[in-house]
Amino acid sequence: MTGTDNIMKETKSTEQTIQLLRKIAVISGVVAFILCILIIANYIQVKRVDPLNTPAMSVMLERLKSNPGDDALRTEIRELDLLSRKAFFTSQWQIRTGGYILLVCLLVVIICMKWTEMIQPKIPPLPEEVKENFWELRKINQRWVIYTGIFLVTGSLVLAFLTYKEIGKTLQGQAASSVLAVDSSAINPAMDQETNLSQSDQQAPDQSQYAGNPSDSDGTIPDVTTDHTTISGTGTPSGDHQPASSSSAAISAQQYPSRQEVTGNAITFRGPDGNGVAYGKNFPVSWNGATGANIKWKAQLRLPGYNSPIVWKNRVFLSGASATKREVYCFNADTGEFVWLTDVSAVPGTPATAPKVDRETGLAAPTMTTDGQRVYAIFATGDLVALDMTGKIVWSKNLGIPQNHYGHSSSLIMYRNLLIVQWDQSKGASVKAFDGATGDLVWNTPRNVRVSWASPVLVNTGNRMELILAADPCVASYDPATGKERWKLDCIFGEVGPSVAYANGMVFATNEYAKTVAIKLGSPPQVSWETTDYMSDIPSPVANDKYLFLVTSYGAIVCYDAKTGEEYWVRELDDNTYASPVLVDDRIYLMDKAGVMHIFKADKVFASIGEPALGEGSVCTPAFSNGRIYIRGDQNLYCIGK
Amino acid sequence: MDLGKKNRTSHRKRKPVKKGIALAVLTLLFAWQMASTYAIQRFPKPEFESGYITPETLLPTPRAEILEVMDVAVLLMALSLVTWAVLKRRSRNLVFWISVFSLAYFGFYREGCVCSIGAIQNVTLALSSGSYIIPWTVLAFFMAPLVFTLAFGRTFCAGVCPFGAFQDLISWRPQKIGPQLNAVLGVIPYIYLALAVLYAATKTDFIICRYDPFVGIFRFDATFGMFLFAGVLLLSGIFIARPYCRFLCPYGVLLNWISRFSRHHMTITPSVCIQCRLCEDSCPYECIEKPVTVKNPDSRQTTLKKFILAILLMPFFMLLGGWTGSQLHESLALVNGKVWMANELLHPEKDASQPETIEMTAFKASGKPASELYAEAAEIIREFYIGGWIVGGFIGLTIGGLLAGRLMTRYRTDFEPNRGTCFSCVRCMDYCPIKS
Amino acid sequence: MHEGGKDKTVGRRTFIRNGVQISIAVGLGGIATLVATKAGGDEFVWQLDPSKCTQCGRCANSCVKSPSAVKCVHVYAMCGYCDLCGGYFLPETKILDTAAEHQLCPTKAIKRTFIEDPFFQYTIEEDLCIGCGKCVKGCDAFGNGSLQLQVRQNLCDNCNECAIARNCPSDAYSRVPADKPYLLNGFGKEKPDIT
Repeated sequence: MTGTDNIMKETKSTEQTIQLLRKIAVISGVVAFILCILIIANYIQVKRVDPLNTPAMSVMLERLKSNPGDDALRTEIRELDLLSRKAFFTSQWQIRTGGYILLVCLLVVIICMKWTEMIQPKIPPLPEEVKENFWELRKINQRWVIYTGIFLVTGSLVLAFLTYKEIGKTLQGQAASSVLAVDSSAINPAMDQETNLSQSDQQAPDQSQYAGNPSDSDGTIPDVTTDHTTISGTGTPSGDHQPASSSSAAISAQQYPSRQEVTGNAITFRGPDGNGVAYGKNFPVSWNGATGANIKWKAQLRLPGYNSPIVWKNRVFLSGASATKREVYCFNADTGEFVWLTDVSAVPGTPATAPKVDRETGLAAPTMTTDGQRVYAIFATGDLVALDMTGKIVWSKNLGIPQNHYGHSSSLIMYRNLLIVQWDQSKGASVKAFDGATGDLVWNTPRNVRVSWASPVLVNTGNRMELILAADPCVASYDPATGKERWKLDCIFGEVGPSVAYANGMVFATNEYAKTVAIKLGSPPQVSWETTDYMSDIPSPVANDKYLFLVTSYGAIVCYDAKTGEEYWVRELDDNTYASPVLVDDRIYLMDKAGVMHIFKADKVFASIGEPALGEGSVCTPAFSNGRIYIRGDQNLYCIGK
Repeated sequence: MDLGKKNRTSHRKRKPVKKGIALAVLTLLFAWQMASTYAIQRFPKPEFESGYITPETLLPTPRAEILEVMDVAVLLMALSLVTWAVLKRRSRNLVFWISVFSLAYFGFYREGCVCSIGAIQNVTLALSSGSYIIPWTVLAFFMAPLVFTLAFGRTFCAGVCPFGAFQDLISWRPQKIGPQLNAVLGVIPYIYLALAVLYAATKTDFIICRYDPFVGIFRFDATFGMFLFAGVLLLSGIFIARPYCRFLCPYGVLLNWISRFSRHHMTITPSVCIQCRLCEDSCPYECIEKPVTVKNPDSRQTTLKKFILAILLMPFFMLLGGWTGSQLHESLALVNGKVWMANELLHPEKDASQPETIEMTAFKASGKPASELYAEAAEIIREFYIGGWIVGGFIGLTIGGLLAGRLMTRYRTDFEPNRGTCFSCVRCMDYCPIKS
Repeated sequence: MHEGGKDKTVGRRTFIRNGVQISIAVGLGGIATLVATKAGGDEFVWQLDPSKCTQCGRCANSCVKSPSAVKCVHVYAMCGYCDLCGGYFLPETKILDTAAEHQLCPTKAIKRTFIEDPFFQYTIEEDLCIGCGKCVKGCDAFGNGSLQLQVRQNLCDNCNECAIARNCPSDAYSRVPADKPYLLNGFGKEKPDIT
């Protein structure tokens, strides 16, 4: 054996090892490549058809909904469900396991390569001497750096030129203008002389109209009358909201209805103040829908809606909505003639598909309101529209889809020129006020509450106007001019549907599963009494200065002493009641679901005055104006009276 | 309208029929609960008669803090070890195995997260934001490699950074890419660094983390786009060694400049270079500076003049860059969520058939007035305007600096690593015939 | 003379190098000190606030991990143990059983067990849960909100920049101290279980 042989042998075995390693590396590489392709294919497939969310499944579920008895379909759904879940989890497992195997394969390749490198005889090859000129290379490098710079500058400038929209400036302008609007409406008292003058000019006739209003001063409900007189007084003394209202009036330079006009018409859900108290005298107590007795007119409605009619002079307004359409209707109050209809479905920003709402709420549950110049309507789609008295849209906007699982149902209310929206949603609840003339947001106050279905109540509580809202977990009061929260009392919870009642310095709130609570206003407001015997789920309570009348959705009427909470009487109706009771002319009108109006004295003992039937079901609160009652039935709008 | 609320009592089997003492009791209990928690309690918790005990909600804890401290300890150990291996042992094998360990630990075990590269953004955010509290571990991950580099050169890149280690493993057939491509691609890390700092300072985004091609591989999970990017990068990494480190890594910019002035640095030969040229092609990263034997064709005077001119032009480059950057500030700002949303509100898409984006719905639901958002967005855009000037100025300075740097005359007689770009991978030492 | 010139150059170079070294060291020290004033010993982890969450479903797909580190967590103490569970059943379900066609969860990760009439316990099987939040939405709308989405900290990688946080439309994600890593409603405050 010679040395050369040895070396030869060694080289040969090394050569063999390298060959082997190469082979392993190649095989692993190929396996890795195939795996890679498979994983990518799997990934794309799962991304493309999400097995957990297939259209086939939703179609089948939809079919089952309409045909619950189809057992074959049930089996089919179960099979598809099992299959799709299996597909999902298997593909996840495949991707993960595939990933691990891929990693192992790559590791093998790398190890083989490194090994080869290590055992290969290291004889560094002497590189060929390349004549490269150092300075020349530098120059080239330098030149290319310059090219890069030029490219970057031109590229950026072209991009900037193509995309520049002056967003910064526009945004600054937008932010500044809206801040200005809020400023001037909420704080800035330094309006120029002229606007202040015109403002006081505007207010003067209001006051005189007020003071000289006979129907007010001989009002049947004494405490409300005192409210009125104080209202006319608040016009001039500088209450904390005074400068605000003066300047906001100056912005839109418009008049708002006098108290007389407010009480003479039916401009809001549950009476002019939203607290269930209506004004006027001589309302009918008997009628018959079947025979037509005492029914002045009856008009058919196109689209459904659970909102109540509102009345301004000789016009009646209401709204209706379907999944695709939203409409506002105007009728002649004297004749029942159809005056106009405005399709308000195309509000900018309105969702392409209406949100899912409960059948018993519908898409047009909120009652409209008016300031005598325009009527306002809001829908469960979040569309807020203002129309003039001829039906022309003045402004409209979408406030975003209300996050409300049954559907938005809080009615609108006006404070002077401000349109107030109680916007209680499951996330980001707020109360907002818009300028009636322009639709500009005047103030917006976030509310730390959960979604509610109650409507705002706007009452004069002695020396100031208070906007009182109820929602889980509190009853809260706001300055209607500025939106500033005045007080709040955590006392109710759950899915609050009933609005509050107010009379004589007492606020009454109720909700099923929570309690019925009476709050005595003052600083601070305190719970005067509470009960869990009767609570309302849907109808709102109503009160006068002595009694609280609570109606439950299953049809129990309870009369409590407003001050002490003593239960005077309970009466259970045969039918459910969804409409709220209205107190007018010392009587209470309560509509049950079957369409029978229960009229009884607002007194310590129960005394029925009449139980006239409409002849069709109704879940809407009636409206009272000028000796007539306007009732929205399931199909028709009725005007009762002479 | 009150009607909104559906009578849900009918859905519950234990519906209290009208009124009852049971309900009153439940309601009271329930009221108590309401006061104590901020939770929706529509249905009171039942009182079980069968002796059922409510199971506890299990809440697993996050990774123990001691393990985070261990990460820092491992980092410091790895840094010390690799520095020793580079400067004292001069062993490629040792460096290789340390890098494999780092890849396994910082890469696959820690899944690439806590990393020095990304820490740039946390440090920036900590400096710019009053409220952000940076964890000590992140600060340590940012500082330790910089300090080590100042003392010993870029040993961090050689064997600690998992990204570097990964690419080092797969650089089998490295090719030279030429001075042109080197010049162009060499600018990218500076831009990346500037943008990363801009977006972190404006609290917009951590772009380094977002567009990190390796973490996806480390955790076997990423978007398709990122996998594609990683795939392309790794495949190109076979022929262009360490593409991320050389042409993307923003942390590399800092390391590069600190390394140029480092106290110690690895040398190719332990003693005297004998000009054998064996190491000439050994560096896959083109970091070996060859001896400069040819005389500069430009006279000393001309070079000096050019150099002074370049220095004098520097403010002009910076201004031009800054102005360009400021022109682009809106496009840069649109990455910010608030600015995007404000823009969307301001210029709504014309196509009404498109469903509303979830962001838009969520914004509308938040009840936040648009004016507030506009004001915030306007402020962010203003920040971006200033940021645009700074970023542009920095890139201008970079380009000016790269030009001026290429003018400095440096005659060299030996083969030397480029102190800025050398990753201290020690490959060249294996080729050097002088071993002591 | 030539030699002397070279020495001078070398001397100057070393001087510059030392100067720059010291200034870099000082600079790094400066930054470190400045940042250190804002550094805290506390580690932070990502968590989502259920009271801000709108259950848009992005938690399921935005996480860098799949399946997502976000899972539905059941706070039993808040549960009403309803027979008709809004988090378990598809809306408008009439037959209250465990059939697939009645279940809301796409992966059937909620287990319904009978306790006593009329109460049922609902348990989340975490291995199956993908964090889509469908049940959370249902429970929020029709129940007590005892089902809540949370980042499960044993699964979360605690990325420097949370990919779900970036995609969250309602800003529900934030960094929270690692010693209080969950933000469950009605949990860890007063003891909700009063029986």
